[in-house]
Amino acid sequence: MFDIQEKLKEIGPYIEEADDDLLVCRCEEVTKGEIRRALHQGIFTIEEMRRYLRSGMGLCQGQTCGKLVKGIIAKELHVSPVDVYPASSRAPMRPTEMRILAEDGGVCHE
Amino acid sequence: MKIERYDMIVVGAGPAGLSAAIEAAKQGLKTIVFDENERPGGQLFKQIHKFFGSKEHKAKVRGFKIGEELLEEAHRYGVEVILNATVIGLYPQKEVTVKIGEELRHYKGDAVLVATGASENMVNFEGWTLPGVIGAGAAQTMMNLHHIKPGKKVLMLGSGNVGLVVSFQLMQAGCEVVALADAAPRVGGYGVHAAKVARCGVPFYLSHTIVKAEGTDHVTGVVIGQVGADWNIIPGTEKHFDVDTICLAVGLSPMAQLLKQAEVQMADTKGGYVPVCTKDGATSVPGIYAAGDVSGIEEASSAMIEGRMSGAAIACYLGYMSEGEKNARMKELEAQLDTLRQGMFAPKNRGKLVEKTDEGIAVSMNLLENGFVADDEIERYPGVTHQKGIHPVIECTQNIPCNPCQDACPKGCIRIGKNITSLPAVEGKKECVGCGMCVASCSGQAIFLVKEDVEPGFGEVTLPYEFLPVPEVGERGLALGRDGREVCSCEVTKVSKAPAFDYTNLLTIKVPNEMLMTARFYKKA
Ligand SMILES: Cc1cc2nc3c(=O)[nH]c(=O)nc-3n(C[C@H](O)[C@H](O)[C@H](O)COP(=O)(O)OP(=O)(O)OC[C@H]3O[C@@H](n4cnc5c(N)ncnc54)[C@H](O)[C@@H]3O)c2cc1C
Ligand code: SF4
Ligand code: SF4
Repeated sequence: MFDIQEKLKEIGPYIEEADDDLLVCRCEEVTKGEIRRALHQGIFTIEEMRRYLRSGMGLCQGQTCGKLVKGIIAKELHVSPVDVYPASSRAPMRPTEMRILAEDGGVCHE
Repeated sequence: MKIERYDMIVVGAGPAGLSAAIEAAKQGLKTIVFDENERPGGQLFKQIHKFFGSKEHKAKVRGFKIGEELLEEAHRYGVEVILNATVIGLYPQKEVTVKIGEELRHYKGDAVLVATGASENMVNFEGWTLPGVIGAGAAQTMMNLHHIKPGKKVLMLGSGNVGLVVSFQLMQAGCEVVALADAAPRVGGYGVHAAKVARCGVPFYLSHTIVKAEGTDHVTGVVIGQVGADWNIIPGTEKHFDVDTICLAVGLSPMAQLLKQAEVQMADTKGGYVPVCTKDGATSVPGIYAAGDVSGIEEASSAMIEGRMSGAAIACYLGYMSEGEKNARMKELEAQLDTLRQGMFAPKNRGKLVEKTDEGIAVSMNLLENGFVADDEIERYPGVTHQKGIHPVIECTQNIPCNPCQDACPKGCIRIGKNITSLPAVEGKKECVGCGMCVASCSGQAIFLVKEDVEPGFGEVTLPYEFLPVPEVGERGLALGRDGREVCSCEVTKVSKAPAFDYTNLLTIKVPNEMLMTARFYKKA
């Protein structure tokens, strides 16, 4: 990881781009501009971005936008996508109803 | 909490997972396979085209058939295959949480193989969230599983094998493919796949990408434009097409989240976020293995071999196979894998421009830039010969791992040799009887039979035809060239269907002798 303050200086201020209103995460309706602005506030990892904007937290769990968000972060930070810190993976891997989790194979007594 | 135990748990019933389960079950391991789909076979059950490879890799068998054969074999060896079963958690202790229907269940394996395959990539452009913008995988699911036409007029983005194969399937389903675009300067997939799309009249726009999708509540059009050296659209190059569907085939990414969850060491590579593993799929966590697209995107043929390698490695790891037995099996499998990883599309050549075939023949640049071999380029390949009587003309011009044409000919007219990536050559000395087996067996639909002078001034071309309705003998229509343009009018003189052709019908058309080397497709007038 890099020094946040140094990196913020290096990338300069947020400058609006023509396609900033483009939806990137369609499940949670997060736009490219929101992601770019968050970057200029020091949100540099996919994990933080997910918590901050909820990108990649919807139905498809980032299957669609994960790579795109990574690309935007990399471009804005002037690094290779390979160097963007990935999100952590944890169960449940796919959206699962609370009821099913709570029952955990048994019977739930409401 | 009840935990069920197995020797080996496999996540994913695609070619990799099923092959691994079969290999392990043969050695006596108690094996269970989970898949979140309602059908087994992974990507295979959507593939209706004939596959490349050699006999051992089930070449010329249609994808979904390979899936069925694998499932049948798995059942025969006592593998339990549980469908509609989503693995939602994998832990380093080799515990697995599975959602089966509405219920969570827990399993523990002495070994776990993750063979979850890959997911489709997306691209963003104005209007990409409009209904009508779909992934190539979704298009295949709609057509080949649910028999629904994804749209009437389609633009395909992506010239890799997926984009090419799905474009062809869209046309088979009755859609019009108005254009195929790709931001890359050259066609990414096999030339034979490109050629069969181009000869149907689909224009290729390389170095082009989507500017925007048009429409308010669904897609009504698309604008593409040429990309410059800086990857931006060159102003003034925009082109509009009326379409109701935009199909995206822009690559796949390994779905390796379960492995990460299990604390396996991962690597971020150009090919995606993948587990670090040995040749036989062992990861950094003892007992957890990975095989198939999840450890790096390749093909079903290589996924099957990788699966078998992991199956054998796990059998050995759990003491069902001696080290010596395992090594012998590995050697066999590695040799098979090696034959697949040769040729122009070998992993080591990815992203490189290969200008000469292994035989030293110049690769067709027109094929790479427009999707078809130009008339003045075709003569230089060893599959193209001129003979008086009926003979095959093989327009397979790149070194790809494939050889069913060689096995198909009962007369020995076609030679590839030991190295399956060599170009097929026509042996002029052997006499062709015109049986058509080579035409029907060619996975790339690249073989034609040509016969001069069936009547004064006219000859016949026999071509593979996988569209409906099948034309009738006596029907008059238009012969199309390799570029899909009309070259002359023609008459259908023969239609052959045989069980051995496996639904590839052979259409014979009569054209003027001078068109025998140009006419390559048929269109009803
Ligand atoms: C259009 C197209 C054409 C192709 N043509 C060819 C060809 O001609 N020749 C060739 O060799 N290859 C071809 N391929 C490639 C080939 O299909 C794939 O490389 C191959 O299927 C990969 O096998 P796999 O077993 O690794 O993964 P997949 O086949 O993707 O199988 C993975 C399985 O895992 C399941 N799964 C994933 N996550 C979970 C989870 N959490 N819980 C439970 N189940 C899960 C999925 O449902 C899926 O069934 C083609 C692919 C496409 C898309
Ligand atoms: S038509 Fe029959 S005999 Fe002739 S090359 Fe093809 S397979 Fe061989
Ligand atoms: S000509 Fe032979 S090697 Fe080429 S695609 Fe057809 S079957 Fe495969």
